[in-house]
Amino acid sequence: MTEWTASRGRGRFTALIFGGPALAGLAIFLVLPFLMALALTFTNQRLVSPQATEFVGLRNYERLLSVTALVQAPVDDGAGPVWPRVRDVTRADPAYAGYRPLTGFSLGTRRVTILAKDPAFLRALLNTFVFALLVVPLQCVAALGLALLVDAGLKGQTVFRAICFSPVVMSMVIVSVIWSFLFDRDLGLFNKALGMVSFGLIEPVDWLGDPRTAMPAIVIMSAWQGAGFQMLILLAGLQGISQELYDAARIDGANAVQRFRHITLPGLRQTIVFVLIVTTIAALGLFTQVDVMTGGGPRGSTGTVMFEAVQRGVREENISYGATIALIYFALITCVILLQQLWLRRRARRAA
Amino acid sequence: MTPTQRKTIPLRIALYALMACVALVFLFPFLFMLASSFKTNDQIFADLESMRALLPVGPLTGDNYARAFRLGNIGHYLFNSVLVTGITVALGLLVNSLAAFALARLEWRGKQAVLTLLVVLLVVPFEAISVPLMVLVASLPGLAIGANGIEITHSWLDTLYVQIVPFIANAFSIYLFYQFFRDIPKDLDEAAYVDGATPLQVYRHVIVPSSMPVFATVTILQGLAMWNQYLWPLITVPGEAARPLMVGMEQFFGARKTAWGEVMAYAALITIPVLAAFVFFQRWFVRSVVGSGVKG
Amino acid sequence: MPSSVELRDIRKSYGAADIIKGVSLTIAPGEFVVFVGPSGCGKSTLLRMIAGLEAISGGELRFDDRVVNDWDPARRNIGMVFQSYALYPHMTVEQNIGFGLKLAKRPKAELAERVEDALRVLQLGALRTHKPSQLSGGQRQRVAIGRAIVRNPNVFLFDEPLSNLDASLRGQMRMEIGKLHQRLKNTVIYVTHDQVEAMTLADRIVVLEGGHIRQVGTPLDLYEHPANRFVAGFIGTPTIGFLAARITGSGQDSVIVSPDTDPTRTTALPHRATTLPAGTAVTIGVRPEHCRLVPPDDATHTGMVVMLERLGADTFAFIDVVGAADPVAVRLDPGDRTTATGDRVGLTFDPATAHLFGPDDITIPSTRTVDAPFHAKQNP
Repeated sequence: MTEWTASRGRGRFTALIFGGPALAGLAIFLVLPFLMALALTFTNQRLVSPQATEFVGLRNYERLLSVTALVQAPVDDGAGPVWPRVRDVTRADPAYAGYRPLTGFSLGTRRVTILAKDPAFLRALLNTFVFALLVVPLQCVAALGLALLVDAGLKGQTVFRAICFSPVVMSMVIVSVIWSFLFDRDLGLFNKALGMVSFGLIEPVDWLGDPRTAMPAIVIMSAWQGAGFQMLILLAGLQGISQELYDAARIDGANAVQRFRHITLPGLRQTIVFVLIVTTIAALGLFTQVDVMTGGGPRGSTGTVMFEAVQRGVREENISYGATIALIYFALITCVILLQQLWLRRRARRAA
Repeated sequence: MTPTQRKTIPLRIALYALMACVALVFLFPFLFMLASSFKTNDQIFADLESMRALLPVGPLTGDNYARAFRLGNIGHYLFNSVLVTGITVALGLLVNSLAAFALARLEWRGKQAVLTLLVVLLVVPFEAISVPLMVLVASLPGLAIGANGIEITHSWLDTLYVQIVPFIANAFSIYLFYQFFRDIPKDLDEAAYVDGATPLQVYRHVIVPSSMPVFATVTILQGLAMWNQYLWPLITVPGEAARPLMVGMEQFFGARKTAWGEVMAYAALITIPVLAAFVFFQRWFVRSVVGSGVKG
Repeated sequence: MPSSVELRDIRKSYGAADIIKGVSLTIAPGEFVVFVGPSGCGKSTLLRMIAGLEAISGGELRFDDRVVNDWDPARRNIGMVFQSYALYPHMTVEQNIGFGLKLAKRPKAELAERVEDALRVLQLGALRTHKPSQLSGGQRQRVAIGRAIVRNPNVFLFDEPLSNLDASLRGQMRMEIGKLHQRLKNTVIYVTHDQVEAMTLADRIVVLEGGHIRQVGTPLDLYEHPANRFVAGFIGTPTIGFLAARITGSGQDSVIVSPDTDPTRTTALPHRATTLPAGTAVTIGVRPEHCRLVPPDDATHTGMVVMLERLGADTFAFIDVVGAADPVAVRLDPGDRTTATGDRVGLTFDPATAHLFGPDDITIPSTRTVDAPFHAKQNP
């Protein structure tokens, strides 16, 4: 082979023909938009606008990420302590211009208010982290449990495996639609089941309408849909562990729990890390379920980073702002992957 | 697999019971969807009080399906989805495998750099570039068959192009092909070259026939991804003409939120083909998932 | 303390398939017994049943006269060395060896001391903090043995431990295992498909085929007095030569046979008696060292040399004998440099050294031997 393509000119030429279309496609539709996005974030371009686009530097980033705190001591107006209204402060004091309240708490007698220039985005960022924090352990632990169950050597495991994987094959849109019905406050199956089981003691929960339960509801549904995928990967990892290791452990006197701890878990370490990373990256990109089921609500409790990006960038036509959000999302993902690479390298160095 | 002979009877019964419960957990939304698609709204609500919600019992009707077809324009959206998925996957198989062949089997300067670039591109999530990509395609010229014959359009928005062309070249597919090709012994190539083959012939007669598993894997993964696409067509195909099935579903759901039976019928129509394919090709699906994961 | 191991009519079935069909055997404490046989004969299954890794479908297994059928592997206090070593990949050599003791919650001091001992005996001290992936095949093998000996088990089980090693390393490890046994004097049950290993290491060899014991005996016993055709063909390198023949009559303390191809040339096999009628088809077994090449006209059997195996010390000629299914091996005289491939030769052997197998493939025994070779009842 090297002889044929030895004349480097020839090799180059052939490679260009073979790889050209793909590379062109990737260049135009992947690299270019990425660079465009980067450029866009420094402008104020809108999708359609009578005005010309101008370069605004880091203003978009600043608007997205600015956070500050306002500490207020109480003022006694005779009828008891009172704290000045935040809105008055922001209007009056130029240092707080453009800021809106995000959340607040008390510190002794003083009120502390956290302000941000784009509280909706920061709330969405927080929501996204909360979602990832909830869904990743739930989905991965469930997937491990399923994999162990499938690997237990019982009859019907192929069918069982297929059943667990079937939600993965379905579009998230479909799953969201069906679960919307299941979550319905008055007519949803979940509330009906809760009512039956508790003999009417438990009130129907407005799963998707109550800010406290909306995100957990989406978490449960997402874990349900995705567990089958991780199950297959963990199952492959499980089946890669030599049966003889278990035999040796039994002879050494290990019971089932000890075998799980000393053989199964260590043997699955790499697979588990992979599964965690993949699930986390997917979780950070949460969009479809939110778009179909809750539209970011109620009261912004289910907004996510990507949802905000699409909302601002496309629906509100502020594409430069939307691109900025998308780029921050990309930075997030890159951090996660870098962390994983660092962790892997640290482990490799320790093992050597 | 752990030997089952040493499991005691009560343990096995407990495990089977657990399996049955878990299976039900994964099945019940389907069952609900299927059962409801055949019932009138009143019937659905009545059945909610019991397990009958999950079962297609009682007076069943096909009205929901008929209405979904009529009101939901399913036939048209289905055609769009099939076209988009089919063309993207087919062209993708060709384009991406050729690129992977160049990377795995040919020697040329700069190959290492391109490989590194490929791995980097794997990381870029689609959502991050979706917005600027939309801006890009909005200004790309295209061809369309209009009232005056073939004319040049100014934008790819609201077309089938926009759902197909950006996705033909796919970094992950190239990566999967590349990993698989690397495992094929080079001796086969060399024997072919000695026999007088050109690289293209080596690709066609040596690599491709030995690569059926990875072609199946890429077909399944890409096919599934294209069929289930939502975000992209949502933002780039606002109109009805080129709308794919998933967006149609969301529209239908949004418009007819209270017509449970119809929505379920629509959902069932979309889901059944994929489920059927899954049941048939189950082993291939499993291999695809595992193959994509193991290499990662 | 080494235990005795007794198998009483052990059976094993998977569903409808019978893998082990009634095996009975007594192993004395401190004995080194080798289970040998072709693939699929059930030797590994038998070993795993003794270990407690497979359930016993029927019969009794006793250690020191206690029935252990339902005992957990840990309770049986055995040590086992696996074909692929089965070392815990994420533990160091030290941790691998000490794992069983750690699970048994032995005091740290005792654990450390016993692990030290094992490391010293097997010369693994320098590798104690290494992980299995950093060790060579031979080193891993020793760690596996270390893990087995550190708990002072009553019975040692080896499951084809040398199969994964290079040929040169195998010889070396064989010696190490032999020396270890002499030193520790424990009861060892060793499974292999390599009869050279069996002949080298065993006090007694158990030949298995199709789930049955075909013969039990010392290595030389099996070589010189095979109980049946299978054992004769299995033990001995190069393989024994089989010649088809028929009984033509009997003499005083001898059986007269002649080859099918030439009924006129008869051979009298001395020191044998049989009640089988004339015309019965039988098989003659001849070891390579008992055969000689002669001019074709002088011999009862003729053939062509198809291959010469020059091993340095010995040269074996393989003869395609007329009427024999497989080539017959003949050990040539050291001085014979003329025999070449393609030669037509005659084969002759000393009748007293030949083995005779009846139509049921069982040896027609010599009338002379004081101790009849022990062989288990042939189960139908």
